[in-house]
Amino acid sequence: MDPQSTILLGKAIGAGLAMIGAAGGGIGIGLSVGGAVMAMGRNPDHTPTIQTNMILGVAFAEAVAIYALVVSLIILFVLS
Amino acid sequence: MNSFWNGKRRFVALLMFLAGVFVALRVPPVIPFIQLPGEKFPEGFNIPFTDIRMTNTFVAAVIVWLLLLLFVVYIARRRPSDGNEVPPGGFYNMFEALFEGLMGFVGGIAGGRHFRLIFNMFMTIFLIVLIANWMELLPGVDTIGFIHPHVKEKFDADSGEYKVITTDGFEIYQGFLGISYVNGQCDWISPADEAAADEVALAQAEVAATAAQQAQIEDAAYVRYQAKHGDHGDEGANDGHGDDDHAEDQGDTDAVAAARQDALDARTAEKEARRDRGCYTGVATSSWEDGYVESDETDKKKLIPLHPDPRSEDAKLVPWVVLPFVRVASTDLNMTLTLGLISFVMIQYIGFKALGIGYLTKFFNFGTLFKSPLGGIDVAVGLLELIGDFAKILSFSFRLLGNIFAGSIVLFVMSFLVPILPWPFFILEFFVGVIQALVFALLTAIFMNLATVSHHHDDDHDHAEAH
Amino acid sequence: MSVLDNLGINPGLMLIWLIAFIVLYVLLTRFIYDPLTNVLNERRNRIAKGLEDAAAAARARENAEAEADKILAQARSEAQKVIDEARGRGEEVASSIEQDARQEAAKIQYDAQNEAVAIRNQELGNLREQVLNISVAVASRILDESISKTKQKTLVNSFIADLPEGAKGLSGSVEVVSAMPLTEAEQKKVKAEIGADEADFTVDPSILGGLIVRWSGGMLMAASARS
Repeated sequence: MDPQSTILLGKAIGAGLAMIGAAGGGIGIGLSVGGAVMAMGRNPDHTPTIQTNMILGVAFAEAVAIYALVVSLIILFVLS
Repeated sequence: MNSFWNGKRRFVALLMFLAGVFVALRVPPVIPFIQLPGEKFPEGFNIPFTDIRMTNTFVAAVIVWLLLLLFVVYIARRRPSDGNEVPPGGFYNMFEALFEGLMGFVGGIAGGRHFRLIFNMFMTIFLIVLIANWMELLPGVDTIGFIHPHVKEKFDADSGEYKVITTDGFEIYQGFLGISYVNGQCDWISPADEAAADEVALAQAEVAATAAQQAQIEDAAYVRYQAKHGDHGDEGANDGHGDDDHAEDQGDTDAVAAARQDALDARTAEKEARRDRGCYTGVATSSWEDGYVESDETDKKKLIPLHPDPRSEDAKLVPWVVLPFVRVASTDLNMTLTLGLISFVMIQYIGFKALGIGYLTKFFNFGTLFKSPLGGIDVAVGLLELIGDFAKILSFSFRLLGNIFAGSIVLFVMSFLVPILPWPFFILEFFVGVIQALVFALLTAIFMNLATVSHHHDDDHDHAEAH
Repeated sequence: MSVLDNLGINPGLMLIWLIAFIVLYVLLTRFIYDPLTNVLNERRNRIAKGLEDAAAAARARENAEAEADKILAQARSEAQKVIDEARGRGEEVASSIEQDARQEAAKIQYDAQNEAVAIRNQELGNLREQVLNISVAVASRILDESISKTKQKTLVNSFIADLPEGAKGLSGSVEVVSAMPLTEAEQKKVKAEIGADEADFTVDPSILGGLIVRWSGGMLMAASARS
């Protein structure tokens, strides 16, 4: 195998592994939205507050997944 | 006009569907080369008044700005003057309903003293990002573009020269109306590989020729042996044999040449079969005269001889990719990072505006360091907030970029795999576009609102406990 | 530099984006957000005012309705009063009329009674005369000859015996007048003698005795004791 192919292989594997981190973000978003929907179902009057907090929480949870994406993008495009 | 089209639109849709099927079957779809930075336009296409090379994401950005300007003009003209209460209807009415709804929505989240500033930021970001996101649904975006030689230049430290490295790409395909396409069905084979294959074919031809010669010699020997032992008493036959021998020599060379030619013909047939699949079947006109190798330093640019005829050996030197004229602006970090930075700056600005210099205590919370046993934790929390605020830039920009970049990749990969029916993904991306625009704008509004809220009540609470 | 380049970040492009954003922000705020907010606020105020006006109008209408109800009730009570009054007056009139009528009736009755009394007196006078005659006749009969049953019988028998030729074989209806009612047998006998199909037997005390036979052809008085 020539060196360029080896580098490509390493990049692809590395980027793929880095994106495993997105699973955490997904789980977190699912949990927080599920909780928020349950809360809204029980307490429809407080929907605006719950929604705001839910979006904040989702944003923070998604940030983790985004770090994984950034690492993956850096591996793919920045490393050479 | 309206009544004319009633009941006929479905046939127009059917016609377009059939045209899509035809085009998908006639023109092999191609995956554009995927890269994160916006693809640069050819030499000479600079952004006016600058020396920055135009990129296709910047074209999309300009389109977004122009659309927004048009939008401003339209709304300003259609808006009823004060006192005239009849809404003009149509698009204006829809926008007004949307505007009022979002106003109530943001008012529920950040309906304080700074509502106007927060709402203006919210709305501006929302509109820009929404229009930018929805551009990926338009036909032609990410698909129509320059056919571009895809090479990379690398500095060779040993020789001190720039070397052209060919990268992955496709061969050129002749489509309708003299337009050239990059053909996704033909893998690009580098000239070196081609030459190697030719050499192999030649060697095989030599082997075949040698074998044929060997067989010829053996045949001749066998014939001679037969002649010696069969009827050696016949002189006339011997004479005739001498003539035959001469003729046989001639036949030998013919057979060897034929064997060599057969082997070479097989190679040629292989090449032609490849050409018949649509690879190298037409004349490609590249959109600019000379190809080039991209480089940061313009003076070290290296020209590649690009012949207009891709069948020539020169054109085979490089692989080709499609360089779309327009790529969604949200897939370019320049836009998302700028918006993220603007967002960050506005959050800090509104914090200082609302709380004065006391806003800094959110980050540098030394007030309780020596008063409370847990003061150190407050300091650490403040510093974490500082880091978190800077991380917001990153998460803002990469959230939008990641979602839309992935979305557009999904769209054209799906168009490549299922050329006729990628509609479900278009519907999905429609909603993703709205949601991402809303999330970006809404998070900005929420963070801005949070920055205006004082954190001092916590301190007061601590004081009350201490006393 | 290389990292930024690989990610496609270009400070110049970012600066252009920043300028574009600021320009768009200013334009959108100046030409869309502010005027539209004003328009929407104005409309909201107008709607609120309209609602308030509508509420006031509704209140006014309620007041008017209450007033109308009051007026209506008043009018109704007045009408009732008028009706009651009219009814009272009517009853009064009716009673007075009735009284008058009754008085008149009483007067008429009284007059009639008087008249009746007068007529009766007159009749009584006449009657008295008749009674007198009858009593005179009766008395004279009693005085002249006492009429007995046997006498009657003989009278009848003699009548039948002496029946004139013309009085036999009579046909049609015949009126037979006798002073005393005839017995059944006598009636049959008379009837047979006369030969009449029908005979009307009447009693007339004034003939005092005997029989009178009247038929269409003439009258036969036989054995009559008529005075």
